[in-house]
Amino acid sequence: MPVPSERAIASLFPRELAGELLALARASGAEFAEVFAEQKTSGSFRFEEHQLKEGSHAAAAGVGVRAIRGAQTGFAYADGFAPDDLREAARVAARIARDGKAGGVPRAFAVVDPPPPFTLAHPAPLALDERRQVEMLRRADAAARAHDPRIHEVGASIAQSSRAFIVANSDGVWAEDRQYLSRLVVSALALDGEERQEGFAAGGGSVDAEYYERTRTPEAIALEAAASAVLLLSAREPEAGSYPVVVGNGWGGVLVHECFGHSMEGDTIRKGSSIRATQRGQQVATKGVTIVDSALVPYSRGSYRVDDEGTPAQRTVLVEDGILVGFLWDRLNARLTGEAPTGNGRRASFRSVPLCRMTNTYIEAGPHTPADLIASLPRGLYCKRLGGGSVSPADGNFSFQVTEAWQIENGRLAHPVRNATLTGNGNDAMLKIDAVGNDLDIDGTTGSCGKDGQWSPVGVGQPTVRFVEITVGGTAV
Amino acid sequence: MSAKPDGPGALLAVAAAALDAARAAGANDAEACLEGYRSFTAEVLGGEVEQLKQSGTKSLGLRVLVGGAIGFATGTDLSRDGLAELAAHAVALAKLATPDESNALPSREDAGAAPDRALELFDERAAALPPERKIEMALELERLTLAHDPRIRRTDGASVSSGSGTFAIANSRGIAQAWSGTSVSAWVVALAEDAGGRQQTGVYGASKRWLADLPPIDGIAREAARRAVARIGARPIPTQKVPVIMHPDIAASWLSDLTDAFSGEEVLKKASWLTSLEGQAVGSPLVTIADDGRLVRGLGSSPYDGEGIATRRNVLIERGTLAKFLYDHVHARRAGTRSTGNAVRGSTSTPSIGTHNLYMEPGAESPEAILARVDRGFYYDDQGSYGYNPVTGDYSFQAQGFWVERGEKVHPVDGVTVAGRSLDMLKAIVAVGNDLEFRTTVASPTLLIAEMTVGGGASG
Repeated sequence: MPVPSERAIASLFPRELAGELLALARASGAEFAEVFAEQKTSGSFRFEEHQLKEGSHAAAAGVGVRAIRGAQTGFAYADGFAPDDLREAARVAARIARDGKAGGVPRAFAVVDPPPPFTLAHPAPLALDERRQVEMLRRADAAARAHDPRIHEVGASIAQSSRAFIVANSDGVWAEDRQYLSRLVVSALALDGEERQEGFAAGGGSVDAEYYERTRTPEAIALEAAASAVLLLSAREPEAGSYPVVVGNGWGGVLVHECFGHSMEGDTIRKGSSIRATQRGQQVATKGVTIVDSALVPYSRGSYRVDDEGTPAQRTVLVEDGILVGFLWDRLNARLTGEAPTGNGRRASFRSVPLCRMTNTYIEAGPHTPADLIASLPRGLYCKRLGGGSVSPADGNFSFQVTEAWQIENGRLAHPVRNATLTGNGNDAMLKIDAVGNDLDIDGTTGSCGKDGQWSPVGVGQPTVRFVEITVGGTAV
Repeated sequence: MSAKPDGPGALLAVAAAALDAARAAGANDAEACLEGYRSFTAEVLGGEVEQLKQSGTKSLGLRVLVGGAIGFATGTDLSRDGLAELAAHAVALAKLATPDESNALPSREDAGAAPDRALELFDERAAALPPERKIEMALELERLTLAHDPRIRRTDGASVSSGSGTFAIANSRGIAQAWSGTSVSAWVVALAEDAGGRQQTGVYGASKRWLADLPPIDGIAREAARRAVARIGARPIPTQKVPVIMHPDIAASWLSDLTDAFSGEEVLKKASWLTSLEGQAVGSPLVTIADDGRLVRGLGSSPYDGEGIATRRNVLIERGTLAKFLYDHVHARRAGTRSTGNAVRGSTSTPSIGTHNLYMEPGAESPEAILARVDRGFYYDDQGSYGYNPVTGDYSFQAQGFWVERGEKVHPVDGVTVAGRSLDMLKAIVAVGNDLEFRTTVASPTLLIAEMTVGGGASG
């Protein structure tokens, strides 16, 4: 398939037009206006039932216009770059303010151009041609099926996207960026009589094409999915109740993302709906626990050079040795509270307003070996692989699906456990950590975080972490 | 805003041009799906407008067949050049895909008949509801929520939105259908202060096609406030196996999770836990589950599905017996059967098998009578988001609700989990309420399940 015949976004969205739209958006008294022009192309292939079922291509391009007065936002967008459509969007956004004076002459644009956190020589979405992608899926399919005769079905898919944007605002910010994402996901279905189980694994991130040969091959991803499915065939039901839990490294960090990270986002801090709003300087996690959000992690889906508001990306320490030291801020909430933006303003596309979002959120490494954390427990649950998770931000209740777990008995992994759910309240979850491993891993391959109907790519991470107790859902009593 | 430029005729004309472009690019068959919509949302917080958002998009999804292999492209550039580019992408992708004789588009004969009565999908009042009125409604919704109880000191926001859209589906085998619809919704999140700085939430609202069908603003406010306040002082209960009363919201969410198990595609792959059970008893005789694409004014209703095949009422489980799986055209051909009209899609993706208006048929008992039957048990009315395994039907959710003794709610409960297996749960349904009410596209009455594991603080 040809590389999309894109005209450079800068030629479709000249500075004079951006300036005109910003003035229109502030014509009724808005204090701040912003335009966000975006071009995105994505492609995917799905291999299943021994067939390349389908290939798909998607293109979207357009401009979102935001006007802000106080804490009030007006937003509208237009598909494409036709100036009249964009002017109409700017006029609609401007209506958030009704009675004010026009915003006056916008500041001259100054380009925000920080160095990239990492560079890609051959971004996978550009360098992997269609035939190579299809070949990778065939290899994944073959590897998963060869793993065990009980593997009945395999689904392998690859998705790539390239996104270019320009963001400009009435404070004079002008920033441009281009971001690449790639992801290969394998699901394997194992059947044994009436038992059926599915295993998943993924690879990818903001990576070079070579990643799939050097770092994580289609075969490695496929074997992980197949092995997980086969293992689960012999897994037992989890015991319901509250007891000690060890959560594995890497993707296990989804726990800190959900049950702590969301409560640190500037919108909930500013509105006071987060319990963390008044806790700066207080102990919110066990001593020895340090929690960071950083958009600078190499090759992660959650990383970037500038955020979607044109603020340079940074590393923000949220908790240092158990003490809450900082929050995450987008422009709107930073401005309303007198804080400095931390580069966490993100949007799903030009059709969405920016929200305050996490990037790569993780717990820093501690002193213990993972083996010691398991060996220390007479009885408990070792959660090796977590699935999805969520938190209800206002009341703090969280839950996670555990896709692969082991019962710990007398310090040893006794038998595999399936379909456990971890639940609790985020208010005290980080205080229930009682030991932190030394095996930090940040999983930037596959995560997507949903908030207010918008999905954003994120990374999560942690070393192996032990909790004094977590409430585990299961059918065994 | 006039609906004309994005009306059925205009979208069908673009669809026809897209089919021409596909043929010119080398497709043997092609299908164009066009979607145009316009919506406006008002969100308020603390008595002020927080956000006004206008959305409007018109997009095309083009599915092509080249020698029995499928390619797909989607975009918003509907100019002649834009269509040609999308068609070229779709055809190039199809040439990489595997041909299969089951891959085909439905013909006009496959499509079936138009509805014999008006589905009433379009409400002029909802389409014309001015932004100012939506702002007023949202402000009123928040104000009434706060006024209902002094323990509600704030909300997490109230929102009112409405919009209208047109969907067109046309293919090279003679199908060409288009229809328009509206939607209007109002939601609020009430926050009640609890001890120790904790907050309890009460979420309530509805989405409807007709403005007149939206519950009164005061009713929405009252229910949201009631839910939040009732949660104050919630605490865990010991781990035990007990009868569980499922609130309609929870039961509907479970029904929604079950959709994959009824999908003919999953059954063909043996990835559904219902795979080998057609014609067998999979639920108690009280259980009848149906999906109806032609409910009058139904939010999920449409005359045709995402491939242009007539929608209908499909009974999936009839008095406990697994009666039917759901199919789109391609998977029906693979399975040697006919589509059930369950191809579900937007214009940005190929069709997949899904439901329109999914529900459990109501029973005879009032929810009060069901509560009164329970001597000791858990009334389950709120849950976390992840906890269902579509391959095994295993069910394990973070749960909130009330501890029940002698037919009465004794105290609110949180910090627990509720777990079971869907097949066991369907068989253990011992009462079905008479309180079926659609507030979105999936609905259920209150259910009583004889036994599930409720996991809490100390093991029982």
